[in-house]
Parts: sequence; C-alpha cells; structure tokens
Amino acid sequence: MTAFLASIGYNGWILHVLLALPLIGVVPLVLAPAERAKRIALAVTLVEFILSVGLWWSVETISGTLQLTSSTPWIAAWGISYAVGIDGISLMMVLLTTLLMPLCVLGSWNYIGQKERGYYAMLLTLITGVIGVFVATDLFLFYVFWEVMLIPMYFIIGIWGGKNRLYAAIKFFIFTMAGSLLMLVAILALAWSVAAKTGTLSFDYTHLLANAGAAKALAPWLFGAFALAFAIKVPIFPFHTWLPDAHVEAPTAGSVLLAAVLLKMGTYGFLRFAVPFFPSVAASPFVTNLMLVLAVVGIVYGALVAMVQPDIKKLVAYSSVSHLGFVMLGIWAATVQSVQGAIMVMIGHGLSTGALFFLVGMLYERRHTREISAYGGIAKVVPVFSLLFGIVALSSIGLPGLNGFVGEFLVLLGSFGVHPVSTGIATTGVIFAAAYLLWAMQRILFNKLDKRENEALTDLSGRELAVMLPLILGIVWLGLYPKPVLLKIQPAAFKYVESVRGGPAALDLVQRPQEPGR
Amino acid sequence: MMPIDLQTPSGVTLALLPEILVCAGAMLVLMVNAWKHHTGADSRLAGKVALASLIPAAAALAWLWAGGAEPEGRPFMVALDGFRFASLALILIATAATILLSFGYLEREGLIAPEYYSLLLFAASGMMFMAGAEDLMVLFLGLEVMSVSVYVLAGFNRGSIFSAEAALKYFLVGAFASAFLLYGIALLWGATGQTGLSGIGERLAGGELPLMGKLGLGLLLIGMGFKVAAVPFHMWAPDVYDGSPTPIAGFMATGVKAAGFLALVRILYVAVPDAASTWQPVVAALAVASMVVGNLVALSQRSLKRMLAYSSIAHAGYLLTALWPGTRLGAGAVVIYLAAYVLTTVAAFGILGVLGKGGERDVTLDSVAGLSKRHPWLAFALTVCMLSLLGFPGTFGFVGKWAILSGVVGARHILLAVILVVTSLISAGYYLPVIMAAYMRDAGAEDPLGGRRFDRAGVVTVAVAITVILVLGVLPGSVLNSAIEIAGTLVRTGGSSLVGIGR
Repeated sequence: MTAFLASIGYNGWILHVLLALPLIGVVPLVLAPAERAKRIALAVTLVEFILSVGLWWSVETISGTLQLTSSTPWIAAWGISYAVGIDGISLMMVLLTTLLMPLCVLGSWNYIGQKERGYYAMLLTLITGVIGVFVATDLFLFYVFWEVMLIPMYFIIGIWGGKNRLYAAIKFFIFTMAGSLLMLVAILALAWSVAAKTGTLSFDYTHLLANAGAAKALAPWLFGAFALAFAIKVPIFPFHTWLPDAHVEAPTAGSVLLAAVLLKMGTYGFLRFAVPFFPSVAASPFVTNLMLVLAVVGIVYGALVAMVQPDIKKLVAYSSVSHLGFVMLGIWAATVQSVQGAIMVMIGHGLSTGALFFLVGMLYERRHTREISAYGGIAKVVPVFSLLFGIVALSSIGLPGLNGFVGEFLVLLGSFGVHPVSTGIATTGVIFAAAYLLWAMQRILFNKLDKRENEALTDLSGRELAVMLPLILGIVWLGLYPKPVLLKIQPAAFKYVESVRGGPAALDLVQRPQEPGR
Repeated sequence: MMPIDLQTPSGVTLALLPEILVCAGAMLVLMVNAWKHHTGADSRLAGKVALASLIPAAAALAWLWAGGAEPEGRPFMVALDGFRFASLALILIATAATILLSFGYLEREGLIAPEYYSLLLFAASGMMFMAGAEDLMVLFLGLEVMSVSVYVLAGFNRGSIFSAEAALKYFLVGAFASAFLLYGIALLWGATGQTGLSGIGERLAGGELPLMGKLGLGLLLIGMGFKVAAVPFHMWAPDVYDGSPTPIAGFMATGVKAAGFLALVRILYVAVPDAASTWQPVVAALAVASMVVGNLVALSQRSLKRMLAYSSIAHAGYLLTALWPGTRLGAGAVVIYLAAYVLTTVAAFGILGVLGKGGERDVTLDSVAGLSKRHPWLAFALTVCMLSLLGFPGTFGFVGKWAILSGVVGARHILLAVILVVTSLISAGYYLPVIMAAYMRDAGAEDPLGGRRFDRAGVVTVAVAITVILVLGVLPGSVLNSAIEIAGTLVRTGGSSLVGIGR
C-alpha cells in the first residue's frame, strides 16, 4: 500500500486535494438540477473518503511531528502562508470527518426536502472548513478556516432546522465568534511578540511554537483568549448553553457533524495550540485545577441534565457535554494514557454520538416527534432499529468491548494517579451515563407498546442500514482491537505530555514506541 | 520621478489637474443643465456627462501617480505623494459609484434635477482638495466646498420634509463644526506661525506641543470628529442619513468619511507626529466611544438605513483605532480599511436604495424577508456586504480589520484591539439578522422590489463591488503591500520590514 501511494505521489497532493475537492464539487452541484444534488454530493464525499483512507498508511506518526507539510506564501510580506501538515491526532480527526460526510449525505437523503442544492453545497463547504482546521499549520489560515466553517453551519441550522432555528443559529454563531475574535487578537499578539524577538513576522505554527517564550509577559492573557475560544467550542461547562439549542434545532446531519466533528475542534485546539504554546500557564496549579473542576462539573452536570430530558435529541446533546468532559479531564491530567484516552474519546464519541443522532433522526422522520414519552415498546415493531440503538447506546455508556469503554477507561486510568479526587467524581459520570441511556432505552424500545401510532413503524431501510453499518463496524472494531489507533496517536500524546511537563514523560506506564510499525 | 515646482502657477496647475478636471466637469454639467433640464432623460444625460468627466480626472491622476510626481523643494499647499493619489482614487471611485447608483434612484423617486450631478462633482472636488491638502487653509476650503454641496444634496428630495430636516440639521451642525475647525487652525497658526502641515511639523519636531497648539489641535479634532461622525459628535448622522436620498446617504458614509479620515491622517502624521502622546489618548477615547455607542445603538434600529447610519459611526471608531498607532502600518491600515469600507458601504446603500418602495425610510428587516427566494443574487450581494462590514474572513472587510489589528497590536495597545473585536462581536447582532431575514424567513406577500427591476447601472456597480470584495478578501497580498507602500510616502520611518514599520 505504501509503495503504491508513493508511486502516485500521494503525500504531495493529498491534503490540498482534500481541501479543494469539496469546494470544486460545489460547482457541478449548484449547476445541476436540484434532484441530482444529493447524488453529486454523495459522489464527492465518497471520493473524498476513499482518497483520505490512504492517509492511514502514508502519514508517519511515530515521530509525533507534523508530516506531509507544505507551505506556500499567501500574503508574503505579512508572514502568512498557506501551510498544512498532519500528525497522529489530526489524522484521526480528518479520517473521522471524511468517514462521516458520505453518511451525512445519505442520512439527509429524504429529510431535506427544500433547497437541496443549497443544503448540499453548505455540507461540502463545511468539509473544507473542518478539514482545514485540522490540517492548517499557519495560524492565520487556521483562524480563517475556523471562522469560515461557521457560515455553512449557520445556514444549515438556520434554513433547514427546526422551529426555533433562527434563535439557535444566531446563538451558535455569536458564541463561537465571541471566543474566536479574542483568539484573533491573541494570535496577532503572539506573532508580534515573537517578531519583536526574532525579527520575522510569521504565523507559521512551528516558528511560533519554538519562540512562544517571547510572549512571556502576555502569556496568561494569550492563553486565556485561546482557551476561551476552544472552551466555547468544546463546550466546557459554563459555555455550553449554545449546544443543546444548536443540536436540537439542527437537521440530523447538522447535529451529527456538530457532535462528531465540530466539538472536537475545541479539544483539538487545546491539544495543538493553547497548551503547547503556553505550557507554563497551562500547567500552573490554578489553571489545571480550574480546568479539572470544570471538566468534572461538565461530566456530572451533563449527565444529570441528560437524565431528565423529555426530548431524545436533547438527551443526546447533553450527553455530549458529559463525554467531552472526559476529554478535558484527560487533556488536563496530562499523562500519556489520559491524553491517549482523551483522543480515543474524541474518536469514539464521534462515532457513537454521531450514530445516536442518526438513529434519533430516523425515528423522527417516521413519527415527527422526539418526545421519549411518545414511544414505548417499539422493539417488537422495529427490531433492527432497536438492536442498533442498543449497541450504540451501550457503546456510549462505555460497555467493555465497544469503543466508548476504551477511551473513558484510559482517561480514568491515566488521571487517577495524578488527580484521584477529580477522577473519582468523574467515574460517577459513567454510572449516570448508564442510568440515562438505559432508562431512555427502556422507555423507547421496551415497556409496553401502548401507542397505536407506533404499531405501524417501519424498520430501517437499506439506505439507513448503509448509514449505520460503517459506524457500528467502527464502534465494534475500536472496542475490540483499538491497538492500531492507539499506536498512531501515542507519539503525539507523548509529545503533548512532554510539552506540558517541559521534560520527557518518564512517569508513565507505557514506553514511547521507537521503531516504525510496532 | 517627476519633480513639480509648486511655487509656479504651471506647477500648481499640473499638481491639481485631477481636481481641476473634476471642477471643469461640474461646470460642464451645469452648462448642459442650462439647456436641458425638463425631463428624466435630461437628468440621465447630466449624469452621463458627470460620469464621463470623471474619466479625464482619473487619467490625470494616473499620469501623476505613475509618473511619480513629487514636489521640487519644499511641499507647498498641496501634497504630491502616493498617499494623496490613493486618496483621490478612493474618492473618485466613491463618486463614480454614487453617480451610477443615482440613475435608477432619481428616476424612481421622480426627481428631475440634473444639477444633482453637478453638485456631486463639486462635492467630490472638495473632498479631493481636502484629502490632498498640505496646508490647513486648503483643507478648510476643500471641506467647505464639499460640505456646502452635500448640504444641498441632503435636502434634494424637495417633496419630503425629512429630506428638508436632514439638510437643515446637517447644515447647522456642519457650520458649527467648521467654526471649531477654523478656530483650531487659527490657534495652531498662533502656536507655530505656520499653516502648512510640514511647516508645522518642522516647528514642533521633537518638542512638546505648546498649550495653544494643544488647544488648536483639540478644536481641529472636534471639527473633524463632526465631519466623520465620531461619538460624541455623531448626533446628526442618523437623522441626516435617514432623511437624505439613499445614494447621498451612501456618499456621505463613504466619500465624506473617507475625505475626513484621509485629511486627519495627514494632519496627525505630518503636522504633529511627535505629539503622538498628546493626541493618542484623545483618538483612543473617541474610537472607543464610537465603537461602543455606534454598535450598541445600531442593535436597536428598526430601519435598515438608520442601522447602517449607526454602523457607519461604529466604523468611524474602527478607523480612529486604525490611525491611533501613528506608525506607517497605522496609515496603511487606514487606507486599506477605507478601501474595504467604501466598497462595501457603496454596495450596501445601493442595495438599500433599490429595496425602497418609494420612500426607503421604511426598509426594515421585514422588507428583506425571503429575499433569497425572489432575488437570489440580491440576497447574496446583501449577505456579502453584511459579512464584509462584520469583518468576516473571506471578505475584504476582514482584511481591513486584520490590518487595523496588526497596527494596533504591533504598537502594543492590545486593550484597544480587544475593544475593537468585542464591539465587532456586538455588530454581529445586527448584521446577522439581515442575512437571516433574507435566507431563513419566509417571504412576505409583497415583492420587496415592488415588481421593479434593479437598473443596469446599479447592478453593474454592485456586482463589481461585490466581486472586488470577495477577490481581495481571498487574495489581499497585493493590496496590502501597496497600502504599506502608499503609507510609506507619508511616514518614512521604520525601514522596510513590517516589523519595523509596526512599532
């Protein structure tokens, strides 16, 4: 495989193609008749996915450094370039994105009935924005992708959303923008501080990372600005209020993408930018403790609120707050296992929550209600749906053998040694997760079949199975044999931990892998 | 290089060729009016003559700019540098766009008044004098020529009492502001014995500004503050914009504001650069007040025209922030932001003008509801305008904001940068609903255009502006570089690297 990829020069063009292809795809999509739009979108996203798969083999993740880097001057005099690169963490995020995209198109197949061209054009634009965020290695470019991605999501929620879509759309937009504008100032201040020391104004990630010490006096403020932008996106506890609104109002594919990919941009930002740039601030007791507390509060609060939701979609939305709390806990515990676990949760949550949102959407398309109380006993009527719902819910709970377990267990394992109290409280989150999801399952799938409308429900169609199958496979694979993925993200986790501790991560149980292909 | 001796009549004539040609055009339009002033067609003819007469002026400007005209010996009365040429180009663009957008508007409102175009040209010549002035007296004369013409233009819709109110209000406030300005000039002259900007600069070089000079500068700033509608001298702006014919409101928001800021940059950067520590706190205070008040009050506006009026006050705040650093990067940021702002605002007012159903005072969010269904391109153009005004990446407006923030952060005033971004966030609260109305709400029963079509001249103007906004939003390299180069003709310190000129 590697030889084949090398023979077609894969490494040289793949990132650029992944970024450009969706945008190019918009052109035929807009020109074609409306009823062809979804087919074109499906074709583009499938090609995108197939192309991206090669990254698995071609990205060398052992060194933990950025691979496949390329840089072209964009606004040369201002030190801005079009620079991209990829490492183990961004590799997983890119693959998650490209895998979910065709599924999202399939999942929207019948749901989107109006302005189809616009909808699929927005989805494609969103892919470019999201992938751009994960591969940009120039901070200006990163900021541009980070912001530009807002527009398609804003329209997806605002045009094709539910009843309160206008409110949800503007809330989503303004919350995100509030953080990112301050981040913009921080990026500039960092770049100018570095320029004052080195004499070159540049927004290149590696350059800034190497010289970030120049901004020492401003470091707490700059860290705060970066952290705020990412905290809103994650979302960390007090900044989470946009999330339930956006999730509930967005159409199914919008919710899937929000949960599976867009939230990960926040945690990715912490791993890639906020902490490595300002490790001394991030590792200070105040910040660490604050973040740990917020992470744990998020875990418990998200789970408790999820438990009392009458609306399935809201329940899943709040469960995201809880799961993302685990990611934050892992990031801030800063041991190799906890960080690896955090990244695993990022991937696993993408698969299982994405799948949950798809399932909720399928239910909604049939009955046009998301009230839990409107269902009951449907396992008899729609057995396949119920089986899949059960698997996905169990994976979200963290049942061993499914993907949710691996990530959360690693986070808890890695964090316990350093922060036993926080970890102890966080563990209750797993119990609560079991409570709210099992309870919901019981009320939806089991109990008595006492509503006449539910007796005529149809089971999943072939298209819907095609949407679910890859996700289920991923869930099982990551649950049974996560080693290949863990190995790919381990060096990046090591690198992150070293950057926080300012020295080699020797305290940990695992050894840093030395030779390729271990 | 083309040295021009400004002490000789022929030299001055050469240096002022663009202004002279615009004035000549204005008089030509008047002559045409004397014969033909009865029908709509006559009015159109006057507009075409006015538009055509901008071409020789632009050619003269291009000749001076490309030839690298510079003063032989001391600068005298009128500046001859890249900064002036860029200023003139900006003003000519704003004027041309206003003329193009006026055709359809005047016809619809039934205003047969060919002298409108001649007044526009006179106002433009005043702006050009103002922006290129090397002497405070020339500045004042230019300002008066501009102001008097715009007073009349504001009241041009004779049938509307709001238009009359706008004209009267603008006139009274404007006259008041002129008095401040004139008194400021007198005091500065008293302090330095000079009215030439570089003369004042030489007198004050390196030293502390004397009290009389401080007073003079303060009064000057107040006078200019009125003209550019900076808080707390902004009270007139919403009413005047609201009452004036829409293209004129656009002209005030772009041309008048641009001329004011370009003149202000020249005054502060050439005459009193060493007194930066004196004027910087004042500029910062005005900037913060304008950004906060403009954006907050814009939130509560119902009429889109008033909303844009308050937003233009907020943009005056951004521009004040841009010129705050006193560095070459700061001057460049003013140029680039003005370019972005002028293009976007021209397009926005153009769209607003066509949306009005006979009396655009009532254009509200409801009037654009569902615009994307009936007029998808118009909705798209409006969206681009709003995003550019918001400063969203991918549009020229973002490039402008980026330049401003670079200048301010480079000069180590991060607080001002933070205030700028926080207030722009507030502005999302009124720009986004316009987009939402156009795309996400259902259309009303009535067509917002009332069944009319956007006339061709207007379509072309808006289309060109939108294209430029998008292209320069993605590929801003060349325009950023030339802005820095242009600023370099005004501020020569700091070497050539961006790091040097930013500090």
